[in-house]
Amino acid sequence: MDFEPRYTAEQEAFRTEVQEWLRDNIPTGIEHPADSSDLTYEQYQLRRDLGRRLGEKGWLWPTAPEEYGGGGLTVDHSVVLEEEIDGYNLSLPPYYDSGGRLGGNSILVWGSEEQKQEFLPKIFKGQIRTWQLLTEPEAGSDLANAKASARRDGDDYVINGQKVYVGSAHGSDYMWTITCTDPEGDRHHNLSWFMVPSDLPGISVFPMDLLSSAGESGAGSGVKNIVYFDNVRVPAKNLIGGENEGWKVATTHLELEHGTGGKIGRNWIVDRIFDYCKSNNRRGEPLSKDSDIRESLIDIYIDAEIGRLFQLRNYWMRHSGAQVTYEGPQASYFRKQSGLRIATGILDILGPAALTKDAQWGAGEGHIEAHQRAAIIALHPGGTTDIQKVIMSRRIGIGRQQRERAGALA
Amino acid sequence: MDLSLTEEQEMLKAAVRRFVDTEYPKETLLELQATGQNAPSEPWSKLAATGWLGIIIPTEYGGEGGSFTDAGVLFEELGRGPVPGPHISTAALGALAILEAGTEEQKRGLLPDVAAGRRTIALAITEADYQWDESDVQAIAATDGDGYRISGTKVYVYDAAAATDLICAVRTENRQHVGLALVPADAPGVSIRRLEGFAWNLAEVRLDGVQIGQSSVLSGRAMPGESPFAGGWLAVERAVANAIPLLCAYQVGGSQQVYEMSVEYSRTRIQFGTPIGRFQRVQDHIINLVNELDSARWTTYEALWKLDTERDAADSIHLAKTVSSVAYYNACNHAHEVHAGVGSTTEYGLTLHTTASRTLYQFLGDPRFHRRRLADALGL
Ligand SMILES: Cc1cc2nc3c(=O)[nH]c(=O)nc-3n(C[C@H](O)[C@H](O)[C@H](O)COP(=O)(O)OP(=O)(O)OC[C@H]3O[C@@H](n4cnc5c(N)ncnc54)[C@H](O)[C@@H]3O)c2cc1C
Ligand SMILES: Cc1cc2nc3c(=O)[nH]c(=O)nc-3n(C[C@H](O)[C@H](O)[C@H](O)COP(=O)(O)OP(=O)(O)OC[C@H]3O[C@@H](n4cnc5c(N)ncnc54)[C@H](O)[C@@H]3O)c2cc1C
Repeated sequence: MDFEPRYTAEQEAFRTEVQEWLRDNIPTGIEHPADSSDLTYEQYQLRRDLGRRLGEKGWLWPTAPEEYGGGGLTVDHSVVLEEEIDGYNLSLPPYYDSGGRLGGNSILVWGSEEQKQEFLPKIFKGQIRTWQLLTEPEAGSDLANAKASARRDGDDYVINGQKVYVGSAHGSDYMWTITCTDPEGDRHHNLSWFMVPSDLPGISVFPMDLLSSAGESGAGSGVKNIVYFDNVRVPAKNLIGGENEGWKVATTHLELEHGTGGKIGRNWIVDRIFDYCKSNNRRGEPLSKDSDIRESLIDIYIDAEIGRLFQLRNYWMRHSGAQVTYEGPQASYFRKQSGLRIATGILDILGPAALTKDAQWGAGEGHIEAHQRAAIIALHPGGTTDIQKVIMSRRIGIGRQQRERAGALA
Repeated sequence: MDLSLTEEQEMLKAAVRRFVDTEYPKETLLELQATGQNAPSEPWSKLAATGWLGIIIPTEYGGEGGSFTDAGVLFEELGRGPVPGPHISTAALGALAILEAGTEEQKRGLLPDVAAGRRTIALAITEADYQWDESDVQAIAATDGDGYRISGTKVYVYDAAAATDLICAVRTENRQHVGLALVPADAPGVSIRRLEGFAWNLAEVRLDGVQIGQSSVLSGRAMPGESPFAGGWLAVERAVANAIPLLCAYQVGGSQQVYEMSVEYSRTRIQFGTPIGRFQRVQDHIINLVNELDSARWTTYEALWKLDTERDAADSIHLAKTVSSVAYYNACNHAHEVHAGVGSTTEYGLTLHTTASRTLYQFLGDPRFHRRRLADALGL
């Protein structure tokens, strides 16, 4: 075993190249606001612009196949890229693109050659930003109950229905959407996915008022929306994976969303609370010297380290082609539950300073306050903690005759 | 032994519930949360008119002369809203602080107005070194002619933006005494600024050379010849200790409400063709929730009973605050698990409680503070 990434001379040379490029190309004013809902349109445009330039170099989706506009780089290269961009408190891509990440991978597995040529370069080069639209009022955990309908009409499908808790601030170019193509059909055999251009007539988007939009993996969304489809005509060529074959596609999408991708990176909020406790005094002593606070900080540290290792393991498993079973939902479950424990620990340490974004009386430039709100809401996106447990059980092989297999990834 | 409420208490409970349902529907509560201002307001005037704000004030001072348990019933029902303050700050903390620290003349002068809701109070104790200990009070009352000039910064002050008067903990110039000064919120030199974010009705209070007369020092505990501030800290500690079970009752009410919301939702929300309450994982959330609720309820009501029967209540008070703070916090978390997406939306109403539960977790001392005090009370 070797936990330490060993960097070859080639990687180190690549790192120097990346560092120089990032230094020259990351504009000022792109900083991650404490609450992603405060990301301005101008900041979003700066990030999109950075994304396009990263995309041109093949660094936006470094390991995605070159033939479809990805970087075609090795995992070794992508590790370096992710480490370096993380140093700027950014991620790849540097904006919310859940539909690009999950839809892109699903198209790679299930799309036709023509569809791959059409959609993947746009995603991998950062030309489009895509939302993922799964949830409906009556289809949350029970995704297979999706009722938004897509009816074939000539060369088009006509979509009607409603999606909730989806998307982000500042709009999208495409919507990666699951629909019902056979209302009479059997469960799991009546669904189909579409890449829907967001500017089609009949689509309307209304922002929702939530306690927090909870910043899913990657960049925070800022806002979640209700999207209505009112007789939206989508070309049939945008149907991905075949009519009524949508559940198959969903298993790929969900596998990634449930955390099987893994990631490499720091826990920003843990860094912040450690810094804060070392550099702020109470009664003349640094907070970090108080024995109760030390205890809380160590609890936080332990949770963060386990979470980091689960993510690291998943990253390694994915890229080494190891057989995954329950590891994705495990990492997701742990991240959600430990996130809430960490928030409680921070409240114990800071008291009311954790609850305000006041410049003088809050902590961590508003990031701590935003995290207090996000930690409770982050239990739900991408499947509730209960659903993660359900999937883990099936993968471990309990409660069913047949052990369930993980969804296919590219 | 009889753990039931009296007939009068049941009637009070029903009356307060009706009042909250009518005057504080969800829409009103959401609006108040956005503006942060429950007083002055129309429903607040109606609340004041009920006389409930004088519930624990003795009848000779214009109150109802009720018991702590009576007040517990009142605050539990207000907690179901959660109806925002300054009711606990006024009717519990403010009234008790004046009763504990005021002279006879001050009690006669102030309490009838408190009971009638004409005067609303916030207790301004905590400062930059945020703890609920005497040593952390650094605001100074400097002698100035016949009176005093008060300077300092109070922070994380609950209900400050809704109160007409502030009872401020201040230190004498020679640093010997920490006592209490009654300061009108609109006095020259007072500035109050709400703290934005997840915090619930907390504010910074700046006291910039605020002039007060002798009569504004709550000096009922000072011996002749002593500084009028003497004994003030002891009085406010007692007032806070006795008000804690009432705050706990409010947390119980909040927990009760999110419990009922969660049970109802688990019966009506259908996923996978069945009410989600059929899933054992959802049952687990609700069982965890009801265990938190009942832990808070019974530690709280025993503490109230001890206060009413003049038993030594220190251990029960610290126990109740530790348990209720954690209970309300966790109850909201479990309720969020039951509700998932819909509970995240502000319009649903669960986040009103989530927000309240975080601020009340630490108000009047967080669980860790009260665990330490409990260990002391148990002679460990
Ligand atoms: C901040 C945020 C961002 C989101 N972003 C997106 C997005 O970008 N795109 C998108 O499509 N959706 C998104 N969602 C929706 C999210 O995926 C759903 O909220 C989630 O899947 C749960 O669905 P639900 O809210 O309908 O809850 P429900 O499914 O109604 O769940 C209610 C309760 O029942 C439990 N439950 C349900 N079924 C079972 C079962 N079989 N076994 C045990 N327990 C069960 C749940 O665990 C939960 O406790 C987002 C949600 C939030 C809050
Ligand atoms: C110390 C002790 C004293 C006891 N005293 C008595 C006694 O005086 N009289 C008497 O009659 N019996 C007694 N019992 C037996 C006891 O009631 C049973 O052990 C208990 O009901 C569980 O049954 P089981 O052992 O067959 O486990 P199982 O029922 O086989 O359970 C195994 C596991 O499955 C879980 N499980 C089972 N069904 C469900 C379900 N529907 N949903 C979720 N989880 C489920 C259980 O929680 C457990 O984790 C005693 C047992 C112990 C250990």
